Amino acid sequence: MSELKLDFLSRISIKLLIAVVSVFSLSTINADEAPGAGKWRLVNYWSEWCAPCRIEIPMLNTLSEQLAAHGVAVVGVNFDEDPRELTLEIAVELEIKFPVLKNDEVSRLGLRPPDVLPTTYLLSPDGEQVAKLIGMQTDAKIRKQLVLNGVLPDVDKK
Amino acid sequence: MIRNISLKTCSGLLDLAVGFSTRVLVVASFGSFSAAYSAEIELLPSPASERSSLSRIVSDESGNLYLSWVMQDGGFAGLFYSTLNGTSWSEPQMISGGDDWFINWADFPVMSVSSKSKAANWLRMSAEGTYDYDIDARFYDAESDSWSDAITLHKDGVSAEHGFVAMLSVGEGNTLISWLDGRNTKTDAGYGQMTLRAGVFNARGETLSEWELDSRVCDCCQTSAAMSAAGPVIVYRDRSAEEIRDIYITRYTDGIWTSPVAIHDDQWEIAGCPVNGPSVAAKGNFVAVGWFSAKDDSPKVRLALSSDNGEHFSAPILVAGPDTIGRIDTAILANGQVAVSWLDTTGEETQLMVSRFSPRGALIDSTVVGRTSASRRSGFPIIEAAGDDLFITWTDTNDGSAVRIARIHFASQ
Repeated sequence: MSELKLDFLSRISIKLLIAVVSVFSLSTINADEAPGAGKWRLVNYWSEWCAPCRIEIPMLNTLSEQLAAHGVAVVGVNFDEDPRELTLEIAVELEIKFPVLKNDEVSRLGLRPPDVLPTTYLLSPDGEQVAKLIGMQTDAKIRKQLVLNGVLPDVDKK
Repeated sequence: MIRNISLKTCSGLLDLAVGFSTRVLVVASFGSFSAAYSAEIELLPSPASERSSLSRIVSDESGNLYLSWVMQDGGFAGLFYSTLNGTSWSEPQMISGGDDWFINWADFPVMSVSSKSKAANWLRMSAEGTYDYDIDARFYDAESDSWSDAITLHKDGVSAEHGFVAMLSVGEGNTLISWLDGRNTKTDAGYGQMTLRAGVFNARGETLSEWELDSRVCDCCQTSAAMSAAGPVIVYRDRSAEEIRDIYITRYTDGIWTSPVAIHDDQWEIAGCPVNGPSVAAKGNFVAVGWFSAKDDSPKVRLALSSDNGEHFSAPILVAGPDTIGRIDTAILANGQVAVSWLDTTGEETQLMVSRFSPRGALIDSTVVGRTSASRRSGFPIIEAAGDDLFITWTDTNDGSAVRIARIHFASQ
């Protein structure tokens, strides 16, 4: 085999190796193991000292169970960015039944921290923000947004 | 157990744009004209240790500056203060400490000082494992050169939220204190109304007067107080029956508190907590109120001015928007100019900003004090006027948590 051919093959091999490594690395970086990733997500920002947050949590617990069958995940964010252990402790006290994201998982959402608590974002499966629900919500208001975005069927439409 | 904000490192945090003393160009604007002025920002050595946060700076009637902060070590938290003597700080003094404090980035201890007295508060959890906490305070009597025992400011005895304190020295060693009081939130019918209350306390911590100033206010915003020529004023975020959460003022004149009125009819309707309280400063008849609002999801920092002790206000002056996240403070310089501080977000960066306005409300200049974090752990920066200079303190979360303080010297205007 000529030296020229060897050089060509080695260059091809290196390029293939770089390509494989790059694809592997990118897939590793892009893999989001956060709760609800890849699904429609309702991202609820709460704080323990926020009274309306505490009031809407039971509704969100129920909604979380009911929407699971529709491929919608309800996830929570502790607005105060407390350490994980404390956040989970507070979540238990507030009787939050849906998953609460870790701080790095929140960062990956790329959302501007809300100006008002509570605030609930509706994210598409590819992570795009499609609705921002400011203040305390009701079951009906959240379902309306899900219908508007085609996530839930419009039962009133014949 | 201490509930506290995280002290761990966070990426992209404070990267102070200034050195120990750096002259920076600031842009000024007068209508269609523009000019450049310089502001010298001097980063001062901080008397606070590492793991410190929630700093505030206040001055007494002689202009002596006091810095207070909270230091946390494991489950313990302590409230400290130090005074500025020329260019150096006094040895830090601990006012109180405990392992049952409620530590929160938005609801933090406050201190007031005068030649005759000092007062400082902290929040103590009133029931294990809940979000109920009381306001405890100590008072210093200069005459006896002693601090009082810790006193719970409110006498309701209800385990509920109490906090968001403002303090103001009102003469004769007395201190006016306003706070949000959740005594009416615990009802059989569910969560009730947060109230605004205020009291006057003497240098021994005895309650001289106490009032309920508003029976329904926003739950999670700081209150603010200042002394006008006609008497004290208190500003806060109201909560109407229709969930309008605009900024209101009440004034103490002729021995009574006036009915609260809106500084401006923002009509910001939200069934939630902005966690962004207003700030008031006063000098003689001149009163300045700064606040944050985000009607229609459009964040703004606004300023309104009064030349009649807060009875009437100018139309709002836009200070910042739409990239602001608020966390404002206001101060009036000796020359009558108004300073407003706030946080602005630009892409991944958050900037600590200060703007100066003329007494008539014209923007003089805006200064980038430094880069900080939008994280809640960075807290609320606080400013205090010292002559025509401005002191500013904030929490640096770049490597743990540490209190920073800087002096801004405005070169002209």
